[in-house]
Amino acid sequence: MKIPLYHYDIMKEREIQQPVDFNRHRRLKHTDKTFKAEISSITTLTDMEKLFHLRILDEAERERFTFLPGQFVMLEVPGYGEVPISISGSPSNKGLIELCIRKAGTVTGVLHKAKRGALVGIRGPFGTHFPLEKMKGYDILLIAGGLGLAPLRAPIFAVTENRPDYRKVDIMYGTKDPSQLLFDYQYEQWRRIDGVNLHIIVEKADDKWTGDVGLITKLFDKIEIVPHETYAIVCGPPVMFKFVCAYLSKIGVPMDRMFVSLERRMHCGMGKCCRCNIGSTYTCIDGPVFDYWTVMNLKEAI
Amino acid sequence: MLFKLLDKDEFKNLVNILLQSNEVIAPKQVGVNVTGKTLHQYLPVTSFDEIDLTYETTQYSAKTYFLPYKENLSTYRFDEKDWKQEIRYRQEPRVMLGLHACDIHALLKLDKVLARDNFPSPYYIARRKNAFIIGIDHEPCEGGFCRSLGTDTVNNGFDLFLTDLGERYFVSINTDLGYRVLLQVKTKDVTEEDTRKYLLTRKSISDAFQTHVNVQNLPNLLDLEFESKVWNKWGQKCLSCGSCSMVCPTCYCYGVTERVSMDFKSGAKVKQLYSCNLVDFATVAGGHNFRPNRETRLKYRYYHQHRGFVESYDEPKCVGCNRCGRVCLAEINPPDIIRDIQMEER
Amino acid sequence: MRYLSIEPTKPKVAVFDFTSCEGCELQLANKEETLVDFLKAVEIVNFREVSSAKSDDYEIAFIEGAVSRSDEIERLKKIREKARVLVALGCCACYGGVNKLKNAFDLSTANREIYGNYPKDSMPVRAIKDVVPVDMEIPGCPVNKEEIERIIQHLLLDINYNFPVYPVCVECKQKFNVCMFEKGQLCLGPIARAGCSAPCPTGGLGCYGCRGPAADPNYDEFFEIARRRGFAEQEVNERLSFFGGFNGIAMGVQK
Ligand SMILES: Cc1cc2nc3c(=O)[nH]c(=O)nc-3n(C[C@H](O)[C@H](O)[C@H](O)COP(=O)(O)OP(=O)(O)OC[C@H]3O[C@@H](n4cnc5c(N)ncnc54)[C@H](O)[C@@H]3O)c2cc1C
Ligand code: SF4
Ligand code: SF4
Ligand code: SF4
Ligand code: SF4
Ligand code: SF4
Ligand code: FES
Repeated sequence: MKIPLYHYDIMKEREIQQPVDFNRHRRLKHTDKTFKAEISSITTLTDMEKLFHLRILDEAERERFTFLPGQFVMLEVPGYGEVPISISGSPSNKGLIELCIRKAGTVTGVLHKAKRGALVGIRGPFGTHFPLEKMKGYDILLIAGGLGLAPLRAPIFAVTENRPDYRKVDIMYGTKDPSQLLFDYQYEQWRRIDGVNLHIIVEKADDKWTGDVGLITKLFDKIEIVPHETYAIVCGPPVMFKFVCAYLSKIGVPMDRMFVSLERRMHCGMGKCCRCNIGSTYTCIDGPVFDYWTVMNLKEAI
Repeated sequence: MLFKLLDKDEFKNLVNILLQSNEVIAPKQVGVNVTGKTLHQYLPVTSFDEIDLTYETTQYSAKTYFLPYKENLSTYRFDEKDWKQEIRYRQEPRVMLGLHACDIHALLKLDKVLARDNFPSPYYIARRKNAFIIGIDHEPCEGGFCRSLGTDTVNNGFDLFLTDLGERYFVSINTDLGYRVLLQVKTKDVTEEDTRKYLLTRKSISDAFQTHVNVQNLPNLLDLEFESKVWNKWGQKCLSCGSCSMVCPTCYCYGVTERVSMDFKSGAKVKQLYSCNLVDFATVAGGHNFRPNRETRLKYRYYHQHRGFVESYDEPKCVGCNRCGRVCLAEINPPDIIRDIQMEER
Repeated sequence: MRYLSIEPTKPKVAVFDFTSCEGCELQLANKEETLVDFLKAVEIVNFREVSSAKSDDYEIAFIEGAVSRSDEIERLKKIREKARVLVALGCCACYGGVNKLKNAFDLSTANREIYGNYPKDSMPVRAIKDVVPVDMEIPGCPVNKEEIERIIQHLLLDINYNFPVYPVCVECKQKFNVCMFEKGQLCLGPIARAGCSAPCPTGGLGCYGCRGPAADPNYDEFFEIARRRGFAEQEVNERLSFFGGFNGIAMGVQK
């Protein structure tokens, strides 16, 4: 006698047969299927950072891949590992995914070895984004320290491409020394946009440096801020955004109008591995973009 | 829910029928410890006699049949300049025989995270839906505090559930599949007398609980006592060995690593269960560790169990089986820690 | 690696043995299923176990064994000069290994006992890193071939390899073992570094910590547990010094 225990085949579920779309969080999908993407161009930015242009090969997948500034992807080098990387490019440039990656370990190490034409995998986009809709009609502060310019570049694109929607835009950027400045070839372009001011500062000058020297907060001396008319996005290491946000808060910018992007260890991007957890908050789902008020209320956040 | 009576001989028949064409996992004695206590584990069995349904508890929970310690999320074939990704989900049915209420509750809790929330996991769902679950009532295990958490009885999450009435089992039938499976053997209808006996048995089980833990207001307390010395006291003992999470029926977190074969022709993305007590759980590239101390890591484990999960799903993640407490060489256990936290407040 | 547009390189590899049992070298030549591919991935220019070729032109040098004679120091220094990457292979090379046990005895007595009236040139056993700078240490007694394969794959790309930092208990639990302590036996698992997949407890023997300590081990509590469970200090300390990875750590000694 045989008991009719049936074989449940999840592939027969209607939902899972739909094309994978990571923007549909609740839908049953192949959570670990990657979109195969080609590294179509590599730009060396500094000794440690390179900018990678990725193009998803499958046309339908490329069409479905839409993101908002502040979101990240899980970038997989098959056989070597998977890492979270913020999308650094413009949301309007369909089909092109720009990732600025620092050589920091195994996976990023392989990526720095890879050449144009390499085939990698992408899952995503994941996480929250900067609320660029809400920021319309306000003065905008875009502040980055170090590698923070990588994630900040996406909202810079969004704001400059939709220039009429925003009022005054100040971009502030600081690094340790001039050799670490990222995207230096773009400064001229940003500077020339009407109503966009770019301020750069380094902690330690070299022989050729003629610009400002000091901590990033020093740049505030040069900028006129109307606290209740301002939104700020701050990307950088915790020490940096702590000081920056404390300053802004002191002069009266509401904490829920400052946005930061938090970094945590991530192994899934989907609220499952718990590695990115801060108290009860999942950085990959509830973040990485948080308003500063929320960050202040997160235990063990900074 | 439907109820039937099943003579023990008929139950044996049922198990033998199930064994004929299915993988069956059931409690099995694996040895005795130094103090003479018998040790059990859920293991694949091939005959009825290997099964010991009178077991007190198992060292390892049943979760590993749903969340294996190691699992390939995908595999790769590398072919010169190209690669191909392959993903496979479980399709084979499996009988999980003799689970206690806490283990079934644990699955219900895992369902909330892994089957129903954002990004449902096809790997988990495929295993879950391929499991035929037969639960069983039992005397409370030593140190178990499931009653305090309301996980000592269970109303869903199984196909069949047995309560031992001596000569026969009182069977609760929760699914159509359970009903059809039961049709293979002779069952009897439940009389009023049987129902009375069943309720008496249930009551005597409830009355037998020795360990009580006050979880009232616990999420709030944990928040208030974030800087409490309690964590220091227990944290100092913690070996950061992860054993607690490995045996816990509801700990599901993991790490992912990838590997390539030596001929560089294939690779795999491997998921491995992890523990927030392990030293590098929250270490990021460059070496910064967001939880560098044992006590912050231990505290975090309790936060996830008794606060974080409550915030997301309105109930604690812990089912009170005390497996973590029993396995911990440093004798760190939830009843003592929770008691300390409650004391702190007074 | 062509899918990454990387042309695989074939680094020249040499393997040298010092004072050891050659067990780790044997591991390198072990695992028949993958040996051919392993030997295809690298160019072995000097390795007694697999070929008679002997060349001084190599990039990566694997050193097996500890240093226990003065001529070995000279030999090691020469190798260091030639190798771009120097890897200490196995417990003996990393920590001195079992050989180090002899440091506990008075050397001349030991020498006489072992070699009778013909004492050999001998000195305290030293780990490789105590003699020359080491680029990478692969612990284990013997080393784990699968791990070696992965390390080679990483060395080919010149990227770092992350060893597990957690204790053996994790891997032991993942094998569904009954804890050795439950069985009344001593085990260094809670303070020893994993990566071996816990073969010892799985086989019924408590861990000896051949891969050295885990990251941030909780010695105090471990000793407390050993005490509570009735293990004598001597037994624990002998276990700790067996492979040499727990140098300077002993139960009953105030820090
Ligand atoms: C939301 C988010 C956005 C990020 N954006 C960028 C970016 O735009 N550019 C950039 O260069 N870096 C970014 N990072 C950091 C980047 O993810 C790490 O540098 C990278 O994971 C290191 O991986 P590795 O394998 O090279 O290093 P290893 O140290 O060898 O790490 C091994 C594994 O640990 C995990 N891991 C280690 N560090 C981190 C980390 N910081 N975050 C998450 N997982 C980690 C990964 O799974 C990784 O595979 C971001 C991180 C997060 C969380
Ligand atoms: S609580 Fe106990 S079992 Fe868990 S990590 Fe700490 S010492 Fe290990
Ligand atoms: S409590 Fe810790 S070990 Fe358990 S699931 Fe949560 S993060 Fe993982
Ligand atoms: S935390 Fe401990 S008591 Fe609670 S479910 Fe997990 S193992 Fe059982
Ligand atoms: S046997 Fe050893 S390694 Fe395994 S759990 Fe026990 S102490 Fe840890
Ligand atoms: S269990 Fe311990 S002694 Fe055995 S191989 Fe692993 S680390 Fe070495
Ligand atoms: S990255 Fe896995 S839970 Fe957030």
